[in-house]
Amino acid sequence: MALLDRHKADRLGDALFKGAALFFAVSVLVLMGLIFIVLLAEAMPALRAFGLRFLYTAEWDPVRSVFGALPAIYGTIVSSVIALVIAVPISLGIAVFLTEMAPKPLAGPIGTAIELLAAIPSIIYGMWGLFILAPLLADHVEPFLNNWLGFIPFFRGAPLGIGMLPAGFILAVMIIPFISSVARDIFRMVPPILKESGYGVGATKWEVIHQVVLPYTRSGIIGAVVLGLGRALGETMAVTFLIGNSYDISSELFNPATSISASLANEFTEAVDPVHISSLVALGLILFVITFIVLAAAKLLIRKTVNGDAR
Amino acid sequence: MTAKITIKGLNFYYGPKQALRNINVRIGEREITALIGPSGCGKTTFLRCLNRMHDLYPGNRYEGEIILDDRNILEPGLDLIRLRSKVGIVFQKPTPFPMSISDNIAFGLKLGGMRNRRELASRVEAALRVSALWDETKDRLHDSALSLSGGQQQRLCIARAIAVEPEVILMDEPCSALDPVATAKIEDLMSDLKKNYTVVIVTHNMQQAARVSDHTGFFMMGEVMEFDRTQKIFTAPSNKLTEDYITGRFG
Amino acid sequence: MTGFHYTKRKVFNYAAQTASLLCAVCGIAFLFWILKDVAVLGAGGLDFSFFTELPAPPGEAGGGMANAITGTLLITVIATAIGVPSGILAGTYLSEYGRGGRVAATVRFIADILVAAPSIVIGIFVYAIIVRPAGGFSTIAGAMALAIIMLPVVIRTAEEMLKLVPDATREAALALGAPHWKVTVLVVYRGALRGITTGVMLAVARVSGETAPLLFTSFNNAYWNWKLNEPTATLTVTIFNYAMGPYEEWHAKAWAAALLITAGVLFVTLAARLVVRGRSGS
Repeated sequence: MALLDRHKADRLGDALFKGAALFFAVSVLVLMGLIFIVLLAEAMPALRAFGLRFLYTAEWDPVRSVFGALPAIYGTIVSSVIALVIAVPISLGIAVFLTEMAPKPLAGPIGTAIELLAAIPSIIYGMWGLFILAPLLADHVEPFLNNWLGFIPFFRGAPLGIGMLPAGFILAVMIIPFISSVARDIFRMVPPILKESGYGVGATKWEVIHQVVLPYTRSGIIGAVVLGLGRALGETMAVTFLIGNSYDISSELFNPATSISASLANEFTEAVDPVHISSLVALGLILFVITFIVLAAAKLLIRKTVNGDAR
Repeated sequence: MTAKITIKGLNFYYGPKQALRNINVRIGEREITALIGPSGCGKTTFLRCLNRMHDLYPGNRYEGEIILDDRNILEPGLDLIRLRSKVGIVFQKPTPFPMSISDNIAFGLKLGGMRNRRELASRVEAALRVSALWDETKDRLHDSALSLSGGQQQRLCIARAIAVEPEVILMDEPCSALDPVATAKIEDLMSDLKKNYTVVIVTHNMQQAARVSDHTGFFMMGEVMEFDRTQKIFTAPSNKLTEDYITGRFG
Repeated sequence: MTGFHYTKRKVFNYAAQTASLLCAVCGIAFLFWILKDVAVLGAGGLDFSFFTELPAPPGEAGGGMANAITGTLLITVIATAIGVPSGILAGTYLSEYGRGGRVAATVRFIADILVAAPSIVIGIFVYAIIVRPAGGFSTIAGAMALAIIMLPVVIRTAEEMLKLVPDATREAALALGAPHWKVTVLVVYRGALRGITTGVMLAVARVSGETAPLLFTSFNNAYWNWKLNEPTATLTVTIFNYAMGPYEEWHAKAWAAALLITAGVLFVTLAARLVVRGRSGS
């Protein structure tokens, strides 16, 4: 009889525990759904007021209560692209160094040091960018770029050290650890004998990396880059400090601009007009949807390489 | 026999661990030399010394001499890229590069600076013909090499190795991942290769060694216990351990 | 193989390898450059009063960030108390019950996306579901936002670490007649303890440096606050306000706070790595 009771208690315990575990697992899905629904509901007044125009008009005027998301979307995308242009070659270089070149006792500490870049809080990047990096860019780098590359329209604008290019630059530093650590893990999955086959026909190390390792890992590396893009798109504090908060759309990258996250950080707590608030939430919704798509794509691409042994 | 490679007093160390002890062997030109022995005996380690594949990993160390033609390939400052285009290698699993069939074969040639398309095409064809893959692939040279079957992929790897016209081809258990039919094809191919190349093959398959090779070396615990004509090794081994191994008493 | 072509290949090889070395140097240089500036500029402001006093009125000298320090601690502790148990339970489902199933695969996928989702969006979400209905910014809203950010991080590390426990261990315990949940709690959790601890520490380190989701949730407060339904100062939000402000005195305080939070986050991150290293024994 006692044994039977114990059985019952065990069964009940199992059911409760499994139920709780399932509940919290599913809560992640519910959370994701709720975030989307709540943002959509809150964004409705703005979307109703401006319709699709919200996406492609460039006016953002809280005084007249007219809102268009284009400057923020433009700034978010352009600053992230600048970040990728700078960060991708450096990150891949780091990953190559860590997997193919660094002696074992060195690869560990160097890898850790690079990963620590990801641990530094975003606000620190912002502050450092504003007080240290911006003056440097304003006094030296931007005039230099303008002198030598000024014939390209991108390298123009007010050399304030604050604007699209500085924001992209700080984003680059911030996403380097993400791209390089995923790329490193992917490079490590290349079977040694595949590389040895390359060396076996007389290839140099660079030729093996460029012509064997990179093609073999291509989709995973693209995934790593896209993951970096996802990180850059949603990054807030550092961009808020450095992008300059201007709703003018300019192709001159030294000029101040804004991004979705910077607009939210700057205006959300101060907005009183319901349409203004709703428009800001709509910006957040756009950011959420874009990053969702980008991160999902990154994950699928990386998974393709990781499970790709059977290719 | 004329020796293509003469190994004198070779010791090899993985870091502090000695893996090969005092190897003295002569590998005949245009012959197939088989290396047999229980797993972990050093036969693969020895094979990888012959094109200094071990140099890719830090901490490995050679002692002694490996004389290829007239030159000691262990001497410091030797150009490994040149050595490896002279001594090709095929691994236990097929290792097609993620590119087309013809690009796989042309890989080494392009590295070597060959740019002429006609010349490349004819070299690709020649290599595929030698490896008996031409008829199966001539209509799909631009398909991914990954679309080939395992046996075809392994012949592709052999074709890729011979395309750069090496003098020696090392094979590390080239049939271990293949079925009997594919294995038979590779064995036929080896006999063909012998006409122009010096072949060294590591195998765990005793019958294979007996079928294809001219000389056989029996390795155990990092040493060569016996090295002789294959026929002699398999009919009248002079070492008791060799006999025990061949007759399947251990291994 | 012509000599010139051959030399070109070799030169290219060395150039590429040098470039990759420079990339690594560049990454490390940025780390130390930032850390050096934070340390140098922050050290001056870290005096006794920084840890004990409330902020001085704008433009006045003196004062400290005692309330922001306790605020960050309070919010992080509450967030951990919410996020860690639910994350571990969800991770338990993925590893112990749902392994190959479709629910688990979907949860895994969504959690991986949430890990990298923009934290400011989480801030808006919590604002909409807690702050506005409750009628004001609050400690608990900030803690909820951080808990949501922690959740996917804890889930994924918990799952990975639980999976490392060999199945034979589970089977051995089950064979003794223990119910599944007891095996999980008493045997599997114990086996994965180090790994989960590391994951939790990394998650804590990450959220304690968050700013964006707190701007619209816990907001800020110039005074002490221990109430869950009142706005609370945090180090990160205070840094934001001070650094953006016009006073030199504020900037110095912001650097001091930056040093404190950076040192704390890096310390926890490195400590977490040491915990993991202890396990592998190398």
